[in-house]
Amino acid sequence: METTSPMSGIWLAIKRFFLLDLLEGLWVTFRAQRTSQIVTEQYPKERPKVAERYRGAPRLNINPENGETLCIGCDLCAKACPENLIVVGTVRNKETRRLDLTTFTYDLSRCMFCGLCEDACPVDALELTQDFEMASYSREGLIWDRQMLEEGPRPTHYKS
Amino acid sequence: MSQEAKPAPVMASEAWEDPLTASLSTAFPDAGLSFARFRGQEFVIVPAAQVPALAEYLREREGFCYFTDLTVVDYPNDALRFETVIHLYALDKARRIRLKSRIADTAEFPSLSGIYAAANWLEREAFDMFGVRFAGHPNLKRILLPEDWQGHPLRKEKSILAMDNEWVRRHLEIESGQ
Amino acid sequence: MTSHLEGQELTLNMGPQHPSTHGVLRLVLKLEGERVKSVECVIGYLHRGVEKIGENRTYAQFAPYVDRMDYVSAVSNGLGYCLAVEHLIAVEAPARAQCVRIIFAELNRIASHLLWLGTHALDIGAMTALFYTMREREDVLKIFENYCGARLTTHAFRIGGLQYDLYEGFEAETRSFCESFKKRLDEYEKLLTKNPIWLERLKGVGVLSAEDCLAYGVSGPMIRASGVAWDLRKSNPYSGYGQYDFEVPTATSGDSYDRYLVRIEEMRQSIRIIEQGLERIPAGPILAKVPKVLKPAAGEVYISVEAPKGELGYYIVSDGSLHPYRVRVRPPSFINLATLEKIAVGALVADVVAIIGTIDIVLGEVDR
Repeated sequence: METTSPMSGIWLAIKRFFLLDLLEGLWVTFRAQRTSQIVTEQYPKERPKVAERYRGAPRLNINPENGETLCIGCDLCAKACPENLIVVGTVRNKETRRLDLTTFTYDLSRCMFCGLCEDACPVDALELTQDFEMASYSREGLIWDRQMLEEGPRPTHYKS
Repeated sequence: MSQEAKPAPVMASEAWEDPLTASLSTAFPDAGLSFARFRGQEFVIVPAAQVPALAEYLREREGFCYFTDLTVVDYPNDALRFETVIHLYALDKARRIRLKSRIADTAEFPSLSGIYAAANWLEREAFDMFGVRFAGHPNLKRILLPEDWQGHPLRKEKSILAMDNEWVRRHLEIESGQ
Repeated sequence: MTSHLEGQELTLNMGPQHPSTHGVLRLVLKLEGERVKSVECVIGYLHRGVEKIGENRTYAQFAPYVDRMDYVSAVSNGLGYCLAVEHLIAVEAPARAQCVRIIFAELNRIASHLLWLGTHALDIGAMTALFYTMREREDVLKIFENYCGARLTTHAFRIGGLQYDLYEGFEAETRSFCESFKKRLDEYEKLLTKNPIWLERLKGVGVLSAEDCLAYGVSGPMIRASGVAWDLRKSNPYSGYGQYDFEVPTATSGDSYDRYLVRIEEMRQSIRIIEQGLERIPAGPILAKVPKVLKPAAGEVYISVEAPKGELGYYIVSDGSLHPYRVRVRPPSFINLATLEKIAVGALVADVVAIIGTIDIVLGEVDR
């Protein structure tokens, strides 16, 4: 701690009398008032730019060439999910002997966005996107079916 | 959870002998201690009644002055179903030791809160979660769950799903929340 | 006129909803005037049954749940869990994964201590400190977000190593953060350390002696401020900490002011470790070979790490099946909080707030 010599005692008294240590603290505060230092984001006018790997709303990807779903119905995402909230419905195609995806249900209300389903998917069909605006007016609205998953949520953009 | 067809797998522990086990064996010759090691971590299996004396000996003579943790594991298929697991740590040797002892469902485990103050809340939590009573504890009441909660959740009797369905049926009058 | 005033005991409930209890903590204070005669902690308002959940999930599936216990420093929780399971299956993460884990664990320590400093100062009344520490914390959380996709509940590590490799620009961002943070830390010290109000509120408040610390099983900065130089990163090094050069700050008197100094110095040492880590990230694989369907051999392990709050331990019992038989979490905040019933006796009500802040609890970990 501070040495208690007479000189430092006098300096301390001067600092206190002339409010110098108060000004020192205030200077730190006022230095942060410059516009360049403002860190507040004015949401919803400017939406935050989230990271590329952000674990947001899930999306079922579609093959851009032929418009079909990339999902092969392997059910690995459903098995990986800690909350068992994915239900994959498939039907076996007689000609190609592969599974065709019929329904894909994802319960967003219980999802904790851990990313285990995204990690488990072998074909990058299920992906957690950078979308974070997933609010809904009802609990049922948060249980997304295949169409919602492929198109993504479209939150209403209010004019500011 | 039921293992009717094959027996439950047993931990592949190896024998553990070193000056510490020798001194413990000489200090407690009739206590029925057994020493083993698994994945490099050493533990002592000790009858429940001997635990306070052993803990005190470890603290006074061997320098295990730090009470790391006390918890309970439930083996409902065994007669002595609750296994109390105590971790002690010696700061100057940076060494950890585990004490395991079994008691039956209705028996009482001797409390260590007189020897280590840390055991106070940990024993309350073990009582709360498992229903294991600690003889000599100054304030043995529930700590995490509300005072009037019925049952001891971490026991292996019911699965989470069964407990959840029971609560839902009782309070919300619907079949299941799943 | 002399009249003998009789003291009357007042029972005051510092209820679960309170801005200064750092969560849903309920204290029943028995006061005589303004002095506390006894305090009883009523906890469990955030009990979610994490240990029971662990018995019903596979090892990989349980990893996101451990983040939610000490939600302020999720990376340490994940690190402890992954180390415990890796020890159980006798697998070691590759060197690159270990180095990256250390960097993130130290970033996480800084983030946790920043939140502690901000909220502690806010409780005491120094509200400006909160904004600055949150600003710093934003930088750290951005790094977390860029790395694993989530800011708070990171799920950054996997059993056997890492899921994601470092992203482009990680080194530049982290280095610039370290540079700016050193200056900012000096700024916080300028605002608080010699501040007479700060000293009045914290010096001599909540004194915990070294013997009491050892008896109560206190760990982390609390025990280091009482003079016991024990840090799991030095005494039982894990994940390669033995190769790093850093100091373990201690203090002597064990009061709240000393805990503040210890945590500030720990942040400085964390920066030191991060810079060393950035120098020596080795190339190589990031995930060891771990079976997809993990069925460890029957057995049990106890592994603990030095979380920002103290010794966070995981005791995992496996019975050879997909799910762990028992997952026990040794929560540092829970055990540190037990000392409140001792050190708050005789203090003023305002000091109780300072003491809760200095113990640095997160109710998610206290209650699990």
